[in-house]
Amino acid sequence: MNLLQLAWKNISGNGLRSWVVALCALVVAAFALFATLLLRGAATSLELATDRLGADIVVVPEGAQTEMEGALLMGVPAQFWMPEENVKKLAAIPGVEAVSPQVYLATLVGASCCSVSQMFMIGYDPQTDFTVRPWLDKQLPGGLARGEVIGGDYISATEAGYGILVYGDLVTLKGNLEPTGTGLDQSLFFTLETAHDIAHISETQAEEPLVIPPNQVSAILVKTKPGADNEKIAVDIFRNLPGVFPIESANLFQSSRAQLTSLLNMVVIVMALIWPLAIVLIGMIYLMAANERRRELGVLRALGATRRFVAESLLTEASLLALCGASVGIFLAVLAIYLFRRLIVSSLGVPFLLPSPASLALEIGIGLLLAMLSVVLAALLPAIKISRQDPAIAMRE
Amino acid sequence: MITLEDVTKTYDLGKGNTVTAVRGVTLEIAAGEFAVLIGRSGSGKTTLLNLAAGLTRPTSGRVTLDGVDLWKLTDQQQSYLRNRKIGFVFQFPSLLPTLTTYENVILPTMFGANGHDSQEPERARAMLERVGLSDKLHSYPRQLSAGQQQRVVIARSLINQPQLLLADEPTSNLDERTESEIMDLFRDLHAGLGLTVVLVTHTRQLVSSGMRTIEMADGRVVSEILASADLGLEAGVTRTIP
Repeated sequence: MNLLQLAWKNISGNGLRSWVVALCALVVAAFALFATLLLRGAATSLELATDRLGADIVVVPEGAQTEMEGALLMGVPAQFWMPEENVKKLAAIPGVEAVSPQVYLATLVGASCCSVSQMFMIGYDPQTDFTVRPWLDKQLPGGLARGEVIGGDYISATEAGYGILVYGDLVTLKGNLEPTGTGLDQSLFFTLETAHDIAHISETQAEEPLVIPPNQVSAILVKTKPGADNEKIAVDIFRNLPGVFPIESANLFQSSRAQLTSLLNMVVIVMALIWPLAIVLIGMIYLMAANERRRELGVLRALGATRRFVAESLLTEASLLALCGASVGIFLAVLAIYLFRRLIVSSLGVPFLLPSPASLALEIGIGLLLAMLSVVLAALLPAIKISRQDPAIAMRE
Repeated sequence: MITLEDVTKTYDLGKGNTVTAVRGVTLEIAAGEFAVLIGRSGSGKTTLLNLAAGLTRPTSGRVTLDGVDLWKLTDQQQSYLRNRKIGFVFQFPSLLPTLTTYENVILPTMFGANGHDSQEPERARAMLERVGLSDKLHSYPRQLSAGQQQRVVIARSLINQPQLLLADEPTSNLDERTESEIMDLFRDLHAGLGLTVVLVTHTRQLVSSGMRTIEMADGRVVSEILASADLGLEAGVTRTIP
């Protein structure tokens, strides 16, 4: 028999106490991991969405900021327009290196001419584009031809295995982008030429025609010169181009970021409450257990156990319970995240990206460590106290 | 084997209150001796036994085992010495309730410095056979009678082949017949294994078991009765300690 086996025997022989300690570890680990996965998943998702947009400043019609963020983050289709001439005006503003227009479209709801109901679609200009092309080039070096589209991570071909019916036009899905956890995963990307082709075909093939107002664009993406002051450029745009609103990429998704910050604060508060509470509760349980087992531990000392062995046996018990409780807690947290992520996303209004296996393993490791540390920390004082007690006194009634 | 030199033990009860359980006791237990320590409740017998085993630190005086001052050793050395040289039989139920009979018996082997000994299982079985419980290997303490539990404790105390067996009122919770059986077992172990035995009791009927009877009162050794001439003294001599 070794220390581990002795600890396990004691655990199984003290059911209620063991359950309570394991439950504390479970709650700490489950909450910590769930909150971490949620917050990190949302933060990563926001960063990826900002990166994918690839612009330093996004210019949209005034009042369309929320709609645009909703479309990019949650995949809620949005359509808004502003004059195309803004593209040239923007290009003339000092500090601007490149500009590229985009049109935002949406498929029809419940119409037989569209494979996918209410899908957000982005049309870009391949001549000026600097945001879609860089990540398209990795997968499709030649870019997208007319009638070809690329989808977000959730998009799959529904017609004949390779096509998607959009306003009665069968477009070819050439590939999928890496997941971001945002609305971009449910979006379709194509060139402005394809957008106009779809609009043209929709006049005869769709239940409702796709209307792209002439000489209008939805948004203009701006790339600034290296070292330029983006804030100053945004202010210049706001002053010089009436009817538009420039959003610096750092300020994109402000409401989601604010939501995330308040979530983080909440998590910190809850954690600040439950962590010390769990430690105190476990500490009290171990103090009671140590008192209850004084005589038993005194006997161990009489039989030749060192003070260190007595302390280690209590700490090993605590660690095993923490490991068991935390493992179940971690499993439940991961299960909850996987099963309810859509519900969480929609109820919290923040995007969410599942972590990579490596990142998940790291977070699980940290969760386990935190739970074990909590329990061991809580059991440390009672373990040291009882191990230092005179065995003869410990064995007294 | 064990020597106590002018040993006093005072317990601090807190708030300035103290109680002296053992007062200036000087005593020597020779190797191979069977000493019976008697006295009324509260006379200091158990404390004296605990002092002899190094289970409690004397307030003053010196305790040596085979010439080694127990309180000059580190905790590790002292624990090792207890583990290898001393076997304990307690008055109270001292088996670990979560362990089987066999596991309880081999428990002291966990604390040895040499790690696992391949002879342990065989020795544990032999010890249990010696105390007549070879058929209870996998029973838990709650499945054993008080007498059987005490036999397991005796088997446990012998697993590391100690030289000294300290027993603190080992039959106090047992009926007369079981008490007699346990005492026979102690006598057998003393005679058969050559163990030094120090047995604490408040039952005068058990005095005949030992070679020497040491009587305590109010923390002091008040008399010694030699039951045989083994120690070079005349049998039946009673020496009163001033």
